[in-house]
Amino acid sequence: MQLAVDVQIPECFGGVAGEAVFIDTEGSFMVDRVVDIAAACVQHCHLIAEAQQEEDHGKALETFSLENILSHIYYFRCRDYTELLAQVYLLPEFLSEHSKVRLVVIDGIAFPFRHDFEDLALRTRLLNGLAQQLIITANEHRAAVVLTNQMTTRIGQSQSTLVPALGESWGHAATVRLIFHWNNTQRLATLYKSPSQKESTIAYEITPHGFRDVQPPAGTAGTGGTELNPRKRPRTEEEKQ
Amino acid sequence: MDWDQFDLNPKTIAALKKADIKSVKEILNLSGADLQRLLKLSSADIQCLLKTVSHTLRRNSMLTALQLYQDKDHFTSQHQKLSLGCSVLDSLLKGGIPLVGITELAGESSAGKTQISLQLCLCVQYPYQYGGLESGAVYICTEDVFPSKRLQQLIDQQHKLRADVPAEIIQKIRFGNNIFVEQAADLDTFQQCLTRRLSLLLARGMARLVLIDSMAALFRAEFGPADSALKARYLQAFGAQLHSLSTRFRTPIVCINQVWYPIASYLVVGSRVTPALGITWSNQLLMRLMARRLWLPGHSPAAAGPGAGSRRTLSVVFAPHLPPSFCYYTVQLEGVKGIK
Repeated sequence: MQLAVDVQIPECFGGVAGEAVFIDTEGSFMVDRVVDIAAACVQHCHLIAEAQQEEDHGKALETFSLENILSHIYYFRCRDYTELLAQVYLLPEFLSEHSKVRLVVIDGIAFPFRHDFEDLALRTRLLNGLAQQLIITANEHRAAVVLTNQMTTRIGQSQSTLVPALGESWGHAATVRLIFHWNNTQRLATLYKSPSQKESTIAYEITPHGFRDVQPPAGTAGTGGTELNPRKRPRTEEEKQ
Repeated sequence: MDWDQFDLNPKTIAALKKADIKSVKEILNLSGADLQRLLKLSSADIQCLLKTVSHTLRRNSMLTALQLYQDKDHFTSQHQKLSLGCSVLDSLLKGGIPLVGITELAGESSAGKTQISLQLCLCVQYPYQYGGLESGAVYICTEDVFPSKRLQQLIDQQHKLRADVPAEIIQKIRFGNNIFVEQAADLDTFQQCLTRRLSLLLARGMARLVLIDSMAALFRAEFGPADSALKARYLQAFGAQLHSLSTRFRTPIVCINQVWYPIASYLVVGSRVTPALGITWSNQLLMRLMARRLWLPGHSPAAAGPGAGSRRTLSVVFAPHLPPSFCYYTVQLEGVKGIK
């Protein structure tokens, strides 16, 4: 939800000025929460504009309003994997018609695939197909594709660990992988896989306004927390391109 | 499947019929290459087929977030929620229980989960303008006997709890008639109940709330530590079915869950208790609420009588639209009431 708002930030404020597609498989897209996040983002930009007094800022703010932001989040609800597959087939056409879309979110990719699948080979094939299509779409339309995934328990020899769902082969689908987890009450995000950055973990928090940095204690060098998809349970997030 | 209804060229339709393809799902499950082989059509024809069936399946499915926000129709709006019958509790939840999704109410025994559940069974029967859904409730008991006496008490006292509703409206509602109690003590019976009874009641519009008391009880006796994979499959299957029913009928599903303590002792605010059933079940949930009973220093669960020396809290553990928060509440003759 945070990303769907942030992708719309005007360029003069450092954003991408894009629109967002949100494919919801779990029904957890609560529009009231998006409103809070969007309102906070608009407020934030207003504060920047006041402080910096540049001409572009004023103009951009005329169109960067709550209603505008909401109207540029295109929401699709998919209730099973067949609907999801169909939606992804239609995505390239949609993105051609809506060329300002710079972000496609699928929340969550695991949910429709984790029950009812007697045939795991079918599941793997379908997921691979989805991944391929999404990679092609991301490249052709210059859009970031972000998927959320669940964590599951892998029972080992002597202990069990939390790992991302959908198996080993799914791990190859994403170019970038972020894992959200907890340390007691502290939220942490770990960059687990990336072609250009090294593995690291940062702390973040979720406030009523959305994702925010945590002030690091003096002496630690934190990578600045960029605003990420709000998740309240440990989940992984995978990003393409 | 009547392929003639689709906007496809006759060659494709003939090929589909010849290959005995019966559903859109079958088509989407096959790879492009498999489809070409099976239907003996060119790659371009296959692409066209995929686009067409996808379009038909997903016709009119896009909404903007703005449309979601502005939708005030109580049949479709996200703003519509199921009230708990108390304005303090409702404001903790920003309106009440969301209509689509599984909400879990976890807590140790005697925290008040059953009280809240019974109250919801009555709340759902009120008109939309009073936070209800004008329909009944299905209460699935897996362990204990349904508390009919307490339900009757609550029914008798509704006018006291719901002072916001005109007396003539309350009198007209035949509360007892609209609560359907099902017993399901084992997994098979539970499965039957979901697929038959529950689907029927929901399809007929006779119920718009499902309460399951409790999920954990179904799994306690039959599963040891070695069966965790099997248990996970059951949980996922049930979760998916409940989710699907909830989405189809815009009906909240409330699951009661028990908690277990890593250490058995008095509760201190902020101590870690874990709801039973683990991460597999948590992944199925939209929202988790925890009912706690906190014993004040100097009192103990064993020594004190009911209510004395303890405070009850209802907290939001996770929800996509709510911050972690809690409020105090009491259980009185007329029901559960939040304390500001």
